Amino acid sequence: MEDKRNDAERIVIEMEKENELSRIEELIRDNKIIFEYKDKKYRCRLLNLKEKEELDTLRRKKFGQLMKDKDVLLEKDLIIQYKERGIDIGELDEENKKLTAEEIDLQVRLGAAISKNEMETVLKTYKEQIEEIQAKKKIIYTQRNLLLEFSLENSLLNFVAQIITYLSLEENKDGKWQRMFDSLEAFQTYEDEGLINKAGSYSMVLQYL
Amino acid sequence: MNIYSKIRELAKSIRAQNLFVAAKEINGIRLFRNTFDFSKIQEIYLTHLYNYDSINRDIILEKISKHVFDNEIYEDSYLIWKRKNIKKIDKKDKKSDVNLVTGKTIKFPKKD
Repeated sequence: MEDKRNDAERIVIEMEKENELSRIEELIRDNKIIFEYKDKKYRCRLLNLKEKEELDTLRRKKFGQLMKDKDVLLEKDLIIQYKERGIDIGELDEENKKLTAEEIDLQVRLGAAISKNEMETVLKTYKEQIEEIQAKKKIIYTQRNLLLEFSLENSLLNFVAQIITYLSLEENKDGKWQRMFDSLEAFQTYEDEGLINKAGSYSMVLQYL
Repeated sequence: MNIYSKIRELAKSIRAQNLFVAAKEINGIRLFRNTFDFSKIQEIYLTHLYNYDSINRDIILEKISKHVFDNEIYEDSYLIWKRKNIKKIDKKDKKSDVNLVTGKTIKFPKKD
């Protein structure tokens, strides 16, 4: 009985794994992603040249706006302000550099050990050391991102992500694909956030990741 | 679902690797519907296909054991080491003088 249950669990896990891989395969198959949302079909695609120009114009305009806003600081100015309050982002960067150098050194040593078919215990030791470094780097990365969340550069990146979604989202109307939004304002005031979030993730998969 | 790990898992699968090898050798077999303008996820997938193809070839040539596939850290580390090693070999091979006959070195005149 226990064996059968284990078998069933294993089959379910394998099926879930297969399903996840099929979903990834769907995302990779084309440079467009078709998806359903509330029984309607939508599509995200790569931007064409004209749209890329539109994105560039909007980005420059936004950059100008942000530069004039006294509440939004450039990353370098935020770093100075943090330092005055005793938080040294430069130190975090230095620590990250040091950890990266250590990580590469260990990876090269592990790679050499693999090429010599060394014992599993040797490989495992290197692996654990690398994992430890990667965990430390992850913490630094998160800390840095949280501290600089409101920088001008970050605000601009978020804006660009929004614009890419606005420009690349299409809906299927009577079998034809049409741009979902004809103005940025219509996109920004659209009431169904679920659709925007879903389209946002897909357009990022296509052009950013 | 960690999308990066899943892309790797897919690129590592026997089916994807077979298709990749076939697409390299047989004209007309395509990996994607589009033949240009690759999306970011397609570019990442292609990189992993190449990487896993390289590891698979070394396993077939018995340079390494298939245990390299046990985890991503082993795979990445082996590829990093391999790239560094290839660079070293390249540097060694880049000599201005060429040995055509054992023990004899032909010295090429230097350019002005």
